[in-house]
Amino acid sequence: MSSHASSSVRRFPEAVRQRFARWLDGALRRRGPIDPPLTLRYRQVFILPTAFGWMIALLLHGMLLGSLNFNNSMGLLTTFLLACLGLLSMHLAFRNLEGIRVEAVHVRPVFAGQAVDVHIELAEAAGRPRLGIVCRRPGSADGEGVDLEANATAVARLALATERRGRLPVGRLRIRTRQPLGLFEAWSWVDSRATVRVWPRPADRPPPPPWTAASRPSSRPGDESDEFHGLRPWREGDPVHRIAWKASQRHDQLLARQFTRPERGRIVFRLDQVPATDLEDRLSILCRWILDAERDGLRYGLELGAWQTAPDHGEPHLRRCLDALADHP
Amino acid sequence: MRVRLGASTVVFVLAAFLVAAGPHLLAIPAWLGVFVLAGVAWRGAAEFRGWRPPGRLVRIGVTFLGLGLVIAAYGTLWGRRAATALLCVMLASKLLEMYRLRDGRMVAALSFFLVATQFLFSQRLELVVWLLAACWLATIALLRIQRDEDAPRAGTGSATAPVRSTIRGAAAMMLLALPFALVLFVLFPRLASPLWGLPEEALDGRTGLSDEMSVGEIASLFEDDSPAFRVTFQGEPPPRSELYWRGPVLWRFDGRTWTRVFYVNQAPERVPDVGPGALRYTVQIEPTERRWLFALDHPARWPDRTRVSMAFELLRDEPLTALTPYDVISQPDFVDTPTLLPLYRNLALDLPEDSNPRTRRYARELRERFPDDDAALIGEVLRWFNEGPFYYSLDTAPLGRHGADEFLFDLRTGYCEYYASAFAVLMRHAGIPTRVVTGYQGGYWQAADEYLLVRNSDAHAWNEVWLEGRGWTRVDPTSAVSPTRILDGARSALPGAGGWLSADWAFQLRNQYDRLQHLWNRWVLGFDADRQESMLRRLGLQTLGLAGQAALMVAAILLLAPLAWWLRGLLAGARRTPDPLVRAWRRVEQRLGRAGPSRRAHETVREWMPRAAATLQNRDELLALADRYQRLRYGPDPADAAIRTFVERCRRWRPRFR
Repeated sequence: MSSHASSSVRRFPEAVRQRFARWLDGALRRRGPIDPPLTLRYRQVFILPTAFGWMIALLLHGMLLGSLNFNNSMGLLTTFLLACLGLLSMHLAFRNLEGIRVEAVHVRPVFAGQAVDVHIELAEAAGRPRLGIVCRRPGSADGEGVDLEANATAVARLALATERRGRLPVGRLRIRTRQPLGLFEAWSWVDSRATVRVWPRPADRPPPPPWTAASRPSSRPGDESDEFHGLRPWREGDPVHRIAWKASQRHDQLLARQFTRPERGRIVFRLDQVPATDLEDRLSILCRWILDAERDGLRYGLELGAWQTAPDHGEPHLRRCLDALADHP
Repeated sequence: MRVRLGASTVVFVLAAFLVAAGPHLLAIPAWLGVFVLAGVAWRGAAEFRGWRPPGRLVRIGVTFLGLGLVIAAYGTLWGRRAATALLCVMLASKLLEMYRLRDGRMVAALSFFLVATQFLFSQRLELVVWLLAACWLATIALLRIQRDEDAPRAGTGSATAPVRSTIRGAAAMMLLALPFALVLFVLFPRLASPLWGLPEEALDGRTGLSDEMSVGEIASLFEDDSPAFRVTFQGEPPPRSELYWRGPVLWRFDGRTWTRVFYVNQAPERVPDVGPGALRYTVQIEPTERRWLFALDHPARWPDRTRVSMAFELLRDEPLTALTPYDVISQPDFVDTPTLLPLYRNLALDLPEDSNPRTRRYARELRERFPDDDAALIGEVLRWFNEGPFYYSLDTAPLGRHGADEFLFDLRTGYCEYYASAFAVLMRHAGIPTRVVTGYQGGYWQAADEYLLVRNSDAHAWNEVWLEGRGWTRVDPTSAVSPTRILDGARSALPGAGGWLSADWAFQLRNQYDRLQHLWNRWVLGFDADRQESMLRRLGLQTLGLAGQAALMVAAILLLAPLAWWLRGLLAGARRTPDPLVRAWRRVEQRLGRAGPSRRAHETVREWMPRAAATLQNRDELLALADRYQRLRYGPDPADAAIRTFVERCRRWRPRFR
């Protein structure tokens, strides 16, 4: 039901779609807050029959007409029983959603092309268990259902596909349930206003890093004369004699030995040095270089036009650099 | 959808389908039933063996095979039996590809529909149990399917919602929906007259008398113990020997079969006046899918939408497809047709050429002995039946071309049809206009509820002869042979004739059950627009109209909502804590709470104890129990034996108030 609706919305011209979105936004906000933390109140829960619900309604219609026409008492009883089960399921679907508390929406940055794992923290405070709560973003696939125990919390998860680097607004999320019978879908909108940073996709085949003036040629990853550093997956271009055959057999993939020098090199990656024409490609390549440098334990810096950072090493530094790549205009 | 039906879900969908289709499977030809069962079995096996759905061609082939089987069985897809059989068969072939959630939903939803179609054939009381069971299973199936769609799958990769909770959940939903369904049943506006009728081809007349009589045919009815109709009399019911329920009257005889003639379809020249001695009664006839109504001689007033023929047969305008009540007034002392027109005289004397020579000879002999006195001649024949070596029996030999000859002079053993047919042939040869009347005789008087239950096994055939000055007069040759058949019913005429006859207690049990069935028929199945209106009128709501009635219905449902709320709370309260200690202790609190001071939400057991114990005679026992409870619950992990002893003590304990 919902997927049909949203797919037809997507086919509208962009202007109409945006206008509708704005109108919906206003309409929703007039009914109550939609930023977490919020409790889904009476006026914020919507409900409509699903496709299956419409089918049952049609079936009931036929049964009612037939039974009425022949004054078939048992047929009428069956019809009414099914109708009342349907109405009850409408009531239950509504109650299943109403009163749930949406505590927060969490996202973590990902590389472009990876799916953002959106975590929606839900809390149950009304003292009755809620089954089958599903979150989804219009235009993307359903998340997995969660069951909330009475007076407990749970995390609903939703995968959000990414294509381009940059900042991706999570947007309005639809929290829905079709319990108990699948005849009705009750849903509510939550707009966390959260955005997620999407880092550039690391280039698959990056050109070899250009060594800047600040770096000495010897500061590249060490050779066999150096200290053994660890193993990493084998990549094309690695010398064959570096393959750690025994370890590879244990791990079912080719591993290459890595060596470093105790005294690490210092590199500064600069956007204008990247041998590519397209900005996105260059950012991609930079991303790969940074990751490789971090993995190899080098100290690296980054210069993106006005934005600069001194060579450093470590997780926070990596995050800072990747964020800068994502945010680069 | 990415999600498939889970194994337990498939089991429940199959169970729902099987139970919903059950009564249909018993009624359709066996090979169709085998087809349906094979579909269910295949899907069940596929689930546990992990078989993949068969290819598209196979599925299409199976579907067309099913279609062909139905056409082969019924010759048509038109008609209720054929249509429901088709529905069963199509659902069974749908099972082959039932892997996705939506397929499961489809089968579950159509199971509900299958349940409703069964009531086109029968609405007997015991089907209520089946209705509830089938709806329950289908609800479980739908619940499971929705769980399959929504349940968290992290880790296991499959939905593992507990089956028992869905079973209980479905029961709770049914329990909540039922009161509302009953309100709708009572208050939903009914149609006073149908919008469309059922075409007669759609029927498959199956029970009761047909409108022709081949000798040997009624015997199949003697085995049929199902009710034909029930009668409530205003005033005293007539004696049993007068209970001749008149059905089709047969005139034409071709040597084997008696049939009706259409000449008699016109209305009678005169109808009886309702005088003293008139019988007023209401008949509730089970659906026969034919148009005959049954009445005692001679109907003077009959229901609307019914024709009465010259022979005082009652013919409904439409076939009886549902339990139908009708009121009749009969006038027993009435001279039917004082002057017989030549056309009818000829009809009533007509016999096939060159048959039954011995009967003809005997008739001529009789005529010579009683040249002018028809009544005496008939009396002589009945005496011959009574005194001669004639027997009443269901075990008979088939009759040949000279049926009457064989029966009267060789066989001399038979039941009502044999006697009625042979008697009519004999009379016609003797020049007395005679016809055969089929119907029912007698019935079982349910003294407690004051109604007469007439079963199909009470089917009977007798004769009417036309006598000068007395018109058509009833003569029952069978009663001359076996008076007990008339006085005590077919059962008693044949002592020990068959297993079902001898089981007296079973017969009694069935009669008792029929009383329930009768109440059910009167108050539930017979609840139609008239009944509804009279009920509303009795409540002082006669001026409502359709809109008013709809409003009343909505109001009643809204009023019912708090009740449902309360019921739901009850059900939720019944959701038991898993801790047996807590359950046992709660029982103690409940027993106290009914009369004594109940524990407030903020009070601990220890705080509450002094107040609770103050009102009791056996306070020491309670204090000991409370102490034990706190030690078991909050102390170190108790032994199972200690828990059991405590639970047992709580169960026994009763408060004794001062």
